[in-house]
Amino acid sequence: MTEDTNARPDGGLGGLIERDDSSGADSTADGEDSGPDGDRTTENGETADTESAAASEFAGEDLVIGYPTADEPVVDGESVRVAPGEVTALVGPNGSGKSTLLKGLADQLSLSAGTVRLDGRDVHAMDTKELARKLGLLSQENVSPDSLTVEKLVEHGRYPHRGFFDPLSDEDRDAVDRAIDLAGVDHLRGREVGQLSGGQKQLVWIAMVLAQDTDVLLLDEPTTFLDLHHQLEVMEIVETLRDESDITVVVVLHDIDQAARYADHMVALEDGSIYASGPPEKVVTEDLLADVFGVEAIVEDAAWGPQVRPQRPLHDTASE
Amino acid sequence: MASESADATDVVATHRRALEWLSGSLWSVVLGSIAVVVAGGLVQVSFGAYSMTIPQAWGAVFDTDVIFNLQAWEAFLLGSEMPDMETRSLIVWNIRLPRVLVAALVGMNLAVSGAIFQAVTRNELASPFILGVSSGAGLMILLVLVVFAGVTLSIPYYFGTMILEISSLLPVIAAVGGIVAFLIVYAIAWKNGTSPVRLVLAGVIVGTVFNSLQTGLFFFADDIGVVQSAIAWTTGSLTGVDWEEVRTVLPWTVVALGLAVVSARQLNVLLLGERTASSLGMNVEKVRFALSAVAVLAAAASIAVAGIVGFVGLIVPHMVRNVVGSDYRRLIVGCLFAGPALMVAADVGARLGMSVLLGSDGQMPVGIVTGLLGGPYFLYLMRKQERMGEI
Repeated sequence: MTEDTNARPDGGLGGLIERDDSSGADSTADGEDSGPDGDRTTENGETADTESAAASEFAGEDLVIGYPTADEPVVDGESVRVAPGEVTALVGPNGSGKSTLLKGLADQLSLSAGTVRLDGRDVHAMDTKELARKLGLLSQENVSPDSLTVEKLVEHGRYPHRGFFDPLSDEDRDAVDRAIDLAGVDHLRGREVGQLSGGQKQLVWIAMVLAQDTDVLLLDEPTTFLDLHHQLEVMEIVETLRDESDITVVVVLHDIDQAARYADHMVALEDGSIYASGPPEKVVTEDLLADVFGVEAIVEDAAWGPQVRPQRPLHDTASE
Repeated sequence: MASESADATDVVATHRRALEWLSGSLWSVVLGSIAVVVAGGLVQVSFGAYSMTIPQAWGAVFDTDVIFNLQAWEAFLLGSEMPDMETRSLIVWNIRLPRVLVAALVGMNLAVSGAIFQAVTRNELASPFILGVSSGAGLMILLVLVVFAGVTLSIPYYFGTMILEISSLLPVIAAVGGIVAFLIVYAIAWKNGTSPVRLVLAGVIVGTVFNSLQTGLFFFADDIGVVQSAIAWTTGSLTGVDWEEVRTVLPWTVVALGLAVVSARQLNVLLLGERTASSLGMNVEKVRFALSAVAVLAAAASIAVAGIVGFVGLIVPHMVRNVVGSDYRRLIVGCLFAGPALMVAADVGARLGMSVLLGSDGQMPVGIVTGLLGGPYFLYLMRKQERMGEI
């Protein structure tokens, strides 16, 4: 476990995502501190050194997140700071706490400790509707009545923008049109959700969360269970958001290649701790694949970033 | 001129969009239901113990002396003294029509209440009574009729005291019992928030205990009359209702159903699942409790005048959903019309069925008829639909 310093981003990368070493004194954060990058350590998330003009500052500090039914927290004392206006991918094996971290960041799970700040404000103290106007979350699995039409579903994305009695305004309609357009589901507009394929459904749900018109967008495994075509469709939307808007995107991905290709920054989680974070070429290494994913793999440089060629699973020899 | 016509098209477009949810299928439900209510109502006013011909009865319904008589309406709706009118008009307007009206109001309340609970629990098999309302009301009914039968309440009044037989408060006590049971269910289900499954389970728990107590109390009833009265209340009956029941149920109906109509969008968002609703900024626990409270209010109002009428709240939302889809803006409006249709039609059977089939003048509780209609309809649905359960 000494090699994990290799996976750390070097100090020059601007502290986009960082691990709070001081609070992570917990023993679950194995192999920590072997390569502290002093210049990246900040006292709090308000040190907005990389803030761009309009993009939102979004950071979690010293997060302890767990489920009410379990004693042990899943994420224990981690800090995450997301690059404003860019795409950050969370990767890690099953059960490493990616979704839990995302839910904690989105105020869908209450924090045992720590704070999540959006433009300097504590999201867990914000009014739920106000938060939903700034931060959108697409869950891993979604349900809707089969007879609901695509357009109506996307219109529900406007919920946080409407008062109890407000009808759909022209502004709402424009946002719905833009979202449908961006997700490329215009041809499905009048169809019932129940008739769509899994891939089409996912695009429609993305359109719904886009209609929410938020500064920060969190996507929980948007490509899992989709065929290759729809996976690429989804990632293309993410790419468009990165290139053409100020939206800050955090996306949980299972496919490391995909994460390396489309994300500006990656955060690798292992057992509830941040193992490494930084640009893909720094994070995706053969050592990381062995330590975090338990896979022997060859990492090659492709035109769009590192590419993983998995060889075989490693059987637990080191862990116990 | 050009801009004027553009404005006009804009206005037209806005109106069209505002009313787009009034789909053709919804119109067919509304018009079909009105036809059933009118037909059922005309049958109800035409037959009964006081015999008159159909033209006489219908003449009495459209008796302009009553329709345009302010004093008569005051008597109907506010309970002031009834003005003099023809015997036939009196019978039609004072005995037969209010029963139709109460049936329609009860049908509305139950149908909308069921529709709300089906969204709150995201389960098509939910009914207004799923969260313990019927068992709480039933237990209180039995307690009043069996245990506290002779108790009188003396309420201090401006001058002296008002003496009340407790049985005259039965409707209110039953409704309150239902509401209390609902609150107990919610308290049991609550543990850092609730979930549909926890609520339904808590409803089953409270229902089981209360129903056992209720059944146990039947053993202490010493009089067949008391038992019959208890059965009429716990199966739901409209026998003997008049304008007083209309006055009892109408205000609550207006409040509950008005809230239900404006909450349709909240119900639609709730149907997307808790997680999505919550990430869209809905305070799910608060909205769920508020909507359940509206549904319980509607159910309690109907219990206060008709007892516990089963199946209406279960099957009407189903029937309407099959026609208009699951959009609650349509579904609630559809239920407002289809509920009365089923209830009025069932009450025709309850009031006149015995005399047609057996030649006796007895009436049966309307809840028996709704059960007899509801069971087979559910069988049909089960056969037709592949998948039942989740909306």
